[in-house]
Amino acid sequence: MLDLSNLKVDIEGSRILNGIGLSVAAGELVCLVGRNGAGKTTTFRSIMGYRRARSGSISFEGADLTKLPTWRIAQRGIGFSPEESEVYTDLTVAENLELSTWTRPTGRAATARIEEAYTVFPKLRQYLARGGGQLSGGERKMVSIARALTLDPKLLLLDEPFEGLSPAIIPLIAEGIGSIRAMGKGVLMAESNVHHIPDYVDRIYVLERGEMMFSGTLAQAHRDRDVMRVIAGQIEVVS
Amino acid sequence: MTELVDVVLGGTFHAAVLFLVAAGLQLVFGVQKIVNLACGSFYALGAYFGITAVGLAIKLGMPPVLFLPVLVVAGLVIGLVGLPIERVLRTIYRRDESYQLLITFGFLLMFQDVFRYLWGATPRTMDNVYLAYGSAQFLGVRVPTYNLLVIAASLAIAVGLGLFLERTKIGRIVRATAENRDMAEGLGVNASKIFALVFTVGCMLGTVGGALVVPSSAASLDMAVELVVESFAVVVIGGLGSMRGALVGALVVGLMRAAAISLVPEMEMLSVYLVVVLVLIVRPAGLFGKAAA
Ligand SMILES: Nc1ncnc2c1ncn2[C@@H]1O[C@H](COP(=O)(O)OP(=O)(O)OP(=O)(O)O)[C@@H](O)[C@H]1O
Ligand SMILES: [Mg+2]
Repeated sequence: MLDLSNLKVDIEGSRILNGIGLSVAAGELVCLVGRNGAGKTTTFRSIMGYRRARSGSISFEGADLTKLPTWRIAQRGIGFSPEESEVYTDLTVAENLELSTWTRPTGRAATARIEEAYTVFPKLRQYLARGGGQLSGGERKMVSIARALTLDPKLLLLDEPFEGLSPAIIPLIAEGIGSIRAMGKGVLMAESNVHHIPDYVDRIYVLERGEMMFSGTLAQAHRDRDVMRVIAGQIEVVS
Repeated sequence: MTELVDVVLGGTFHAAVLFLVAAGLQLVFGVQKIVNLACGSFYALGAYFGITAVGLAIKLGMPPVLFLPVLVVAGLVIGLVGLPIERVLRTIYRRDESYQLLITFGFLLMFQDVFRYLWGATPRTMDNVYLAYGSAQFLGVRVPTYNLLVIAASLAIAVGLGLFLERTKIGRIVRATAENRDMAEGLGVNASKIFALVFTVGCMLGTVGGALVVPSSAASLDMAVELVVESFAVVVIGGLGSMRGALVGALVVGLMRAAAISLVPEMEMLSVYLVVVLVLIVRPAGLFGKAAA
């Protein structure tokens, strides 16, 4: 469904992604793992068209995305939840979720799409009327993911959905992502902490300094010494 | 007492028109983040075009009571010039503020020449509308009915604009785009279209304001710059980017001016700028502005 190949992206003259490849099949949950500064966000922002590729290709359902404006990429059915959540503070939670149903009408009724988001994150029902500015970090994250889901996308891009959240809320988000996958939607999520990778992921990619150093299952990654040195490095030093 | 009512009504009338122009300025600043100096030209353009439209209506033999709706429609129609102007401004949205000020200032100057060319250098007046609506008794004071109608029209536009932004889908999309353009695009919003819409509506607020005011005064080459100066006072007092600020700021400026004109006419603008300076010292972000983080 999503295919990146030999993608090169520069930021202000320096090469940030150096020819990476990655693919997500329909209904698959894939995790892009990498340390801080590895280039995960840059990968996501390139897919969404915020950054232009120097060379290489990004295709979604066979169509080239590299020349499309961001809003058209979203309308093709890619729901994006950025690292900082970016929930609208000037809109209520309910309005945040409705927004994506207006911008991308699909065959499904808006009410059904919103209802679906509430079944993924039941806690959100309590905050419907609250302003987007009156939420905790975890609540914002839920709204951000739910808002990507109400777009009724075929693929969701979730940039570090657990980052900076309290241990109490992480399982709620992880459960939500699990049920999104169970709906048959493809999910590509970024993660910097190997211990946060949900055990139900189908495959992982490991990104290191703009290069893809590993692709395979989580179990395979655990057996790969080089991979573990990179993504579990910080933890080993501590223990 | 009658004098007070006079001042309040005169001030409110001026405020009603000022609000329209300032609301256009605020809307565009809120969404596009550019301070549009050309808003004064839109106001003057509405005034000149209003005169031409009423002249045409007279030729067509329309009854004078229809002149007010003719003026509103004229303002709305000529406000469409906002569309091509936005196409030009589009190239500088991501540039430095100084470029944006320079280019909108450039538009202000170019419009001056366009007005001179099309309508001549001498002020143009039109009193057939003003007289046609007669006068009404209000709290023991005789006031031109036309002024009351303009106040009502401006109030209706304020309410309509508020409802549009707060309650409609497009209005919410506009607010989302204003808050975070990149995220809006990531959710499928064609922000360029929203920008074009917002700029055109902002322009129409100015042209309708100009068209409505012209029967009570005149269309002249000075009015564009005069209004930019006053709108800035409104925006500083009310707070940049806030609609409520535009409303309150316009009332403060309108009433201060009317009071000064009736008490010490020479102090007309001085009184307004005293308030501006006071607000800048006490509440730099304006009465309704968001304090800079
Ligand atoms: N706007 C920018 N200007 C300059 N350099 C940038 C910019 N954005 C990212 N970079 C650089 O690109 C590299 C990759 O950044 P990116 O944000 O993609 O990493 P990441 O894997 O998402 O990291 P994190 O886990 O911290 O979110 C970093 O070295 C970063 O310094
Ligand atoms: Mg990142």
